[in-house]
Amino acid sequence: MVSVPSPTHGTHSVTAVEPPPVPVKLVIAGGFGVGKTTAVGAISEIRPLTTEAAITEVAAGVDDLSHTPGKTTTTVAMDFGCITIDPTLKLYLFGTPGQDRFGFMWDDVVEGALGGLVIVDTRRLDDCYAAVDYFEHKSIPFAVAVNAFDGEVHHDLDEVRWALDVSDHVPLIVFDARTTGSVRDALLVVLEVALSRAEGATGG
Amino acid sequence: MVAGEPEPNESPNESAGSAPDPSEPAGRASAIRPFLLTAGRVAGGGTGPPLPVETQIVATASGISVLASLAFEQRDIVAACRQPQSVAELAARLRLHLNVVRVLAEDLRAAGHLAVHVPHAGTTQDISVLRRVIDGLRAVPDSRDTLRDSG
Repeated sequence: MVSVPSPTHGTHSVTAVEPPPVPVKLVIAGGFGVGKTTAVGAISEIRPLTTEAAITEVAAGVDDLSHTPGKTTTTVAMDFGCITIDPTLKLYLFGTPGQDRFGFMWDDVVEGALGGLVIVDTRRLDDCYAAVDYFEHKSIPFAVAVNAFDGEVHHDLDEVRWALDVSDHVPLIVFDARTTGSVRDALLVVLEVALSRAEGATGG
Repeated sequence: MVAGEPEPNESPNESAGSAPDPSEPAGRASAIRPFLLTAGRVAGGGTGPPLPVETQIVATASGISVLASLAFEQRDIVAACRQPQSVAELAARLRLHLNVVRVLAEDLRAAGHLAVHVPHAGTTQDISVLRRVIDGLRAVPDSRDTLRDSG
């Protein structure tokens, strides 16, 4: 086995007050059971944690939020993990809840995210529409990753792109949510999108 | 652990080695008690947007010094923040609702017991930060043998 520079994570300080790292986050979205927690667990340096987050659920078919009686807040479980980039920078990975076709507003979790990865199970493409729509709407850099369950993808990628109606500039990849290297590479694709967008914004 | 708080469905901390099951979160936060803890207040009610989930919280020296005099959840939070924690980590480890942690953390900050480091809004567009994250992620090996238990 290759020995890897593991993040120096001793139990420092008994008496408090080390400066905290700058936190950044990526969001991993997709339908229920699509592999979000698996992906987080594959790359997180800690066992994924679960917390209760509030999401706003908008009843299907209600377009105008200003007169919505159909807007409710739901509490859902959210899994997350982290990767210490260095002592001053820590990457969090949040698996956004979302398990049906309703529109979700994940602003509570997604606000300030560097980008998002939408995981797709090609047998249930419908389940990821909400996430794709959301990231497009919020102009958050994202990529779509088909989870190759058991190494198999049941559709051609062009078909998936067509079915999801994502534009050509959104990367569409195949990955394995169980494998650290594969999840790492998928997240890197998202970050490259974020980087080129940031460079475009400043460089003109 | 939250002192004296029986949770009917609570399972003990995940034992090492067991695969986390996404469909069955270990120990859900109580639905009613959060409102008692915060005296009915909710996060983001008035003073500004709620703390982002990745906000780093760390105990102050004064917070540590008065630890013994703090009650229950407040004490748990300050004690846990001897090392910097995100709001999300605190909520998960103390099995509190995210919004309860937000409210209590704001209280404890106001009292001088915690320092709350809200992330800068511009970070998402910060090219040097993005490059550091990319480089750091590239250094992650193809496989990880073991996961550290949190805490």
